[in-house]
Amino acid sequence: MPLTNAPTLETANLILRSHEARDIEPMIAFLTDQERAAGFGAYDNRHDAWRWVALSVGHWHIHGYGYFTIEDKASGQPAGFTGIWNPDGWPEPEIGWVVFDGFEGRGVAFEAAARARDWAYSDLGFTTLTSNIVPGNTRSVQLAERLGAWFERQYQNAYMGTEMLYRHPGPDMLDSDGGIEAYT
Amino acid sequence: MTRITVDIPVIETDRLILRAMQETDLDVIADFFADDRSSFVGGPKSRADSWRTIAGALGHWMLRGYGMWLAAERATDRPVGGVGFLFPEGWDEPELGWHLYNGHEGKGYAYEAAIAARTHGARHFGLDGVISYIAPDNTRSAALARRMGATLERQGTLLGHAVDVYRHPTQEAA
Repeated sequence: MPLTNAPTLETANLILRSHEARDIEPMIAFLTDQERAAGFGAYDNRHDAWRWVALSVGHWHIHGYGYFTIEDKASGQPAGFTGIWNPDGWPEPEIGWVVFDGFEGRGVAFEAAARARDWAYSDLGFTTLTSNIVPGNTRSVQLAERLGAWFERQYQNAYMGTEMLYRHPGPDMLDSDGGIEAYT
Repeated sequence: MTRITVDIPVIETDRLILRAMQETDLDVIADFFADDRSSFVGGPKSRADSWRTIAGALGHWMLRGYGMWLAAERATDRPVGGVGFLFPEGWDEPELGWHLYNGHEGKGYAYEAAIAARTHGARHFGLDGVISYIAPDNTRSAALARRMGATLERQGTLLGHAVDVYRHPTQEAA
């Protein structure tokens, strides 16, 4: 049963869909993985991780947008999450992405984040989006740049400390498929 | 762009309405969590974390099918506190919790709200004879639990903190 009002979106290899109860344990596993979640905000206990899952669900009910679960079509397994995140205190709505253990190296984050961005522009009417990246998270910087985003400024995030704010190309800078051919 | 789509029942008592928390309640909730009075319910915490408390409360309803209501004065919709059922990861079982926002103590609001929530939980959520976790030095909440007919069942720990576990009477016995 879907836990949010998120639509279901599709790409070649992935489905972006609402969080469901079966995602809770994979999400907690990611959030309590100190190494993997370091750039996202790791928790050292299951209670706080569960509460983050509830927060991610509730975010949709406040804003009408939030994180999707990324589902790998081939295996049917949750492979990560991506979407638009904008809790109180955030400088602007941001596109975030994480990939769960075992799903890296296949372009999952790129494929999912590009689809989420396209949805935000075409369905939500956003005209600009950002991604906040902790300095040193080179994989995320590479992905942001592959998505056509550029470094704009540093700012202080109440949870993560100093972060780099990357600015994504707006809808007028992307082609009709949400692609970024102009940047490759 | 606020879209509350969680099916959260509305309960009315003589003076109060129990309803979903909303982003528009943030000022009152952040004010409460800025104060040391919130130390028994996870505070003090920042305004940003208070926003996360609201979102998390809505998510809790979706994850569990029950959760925390905001209690507001019926006449004015002025928020007076939070009440309802909590069962996050780490809890032994669902608990009935309550707290009053700043300036609303001493009017019997917590009792009125908690009785209404307890009755609703027993009738509609299958939550009967629930517990309340109460910090040993939270004498006001312990007094309210006893006034509601709850009894001290045991001393336990919750997230590493010592707590008294009160057991509420079942609805037939209450």
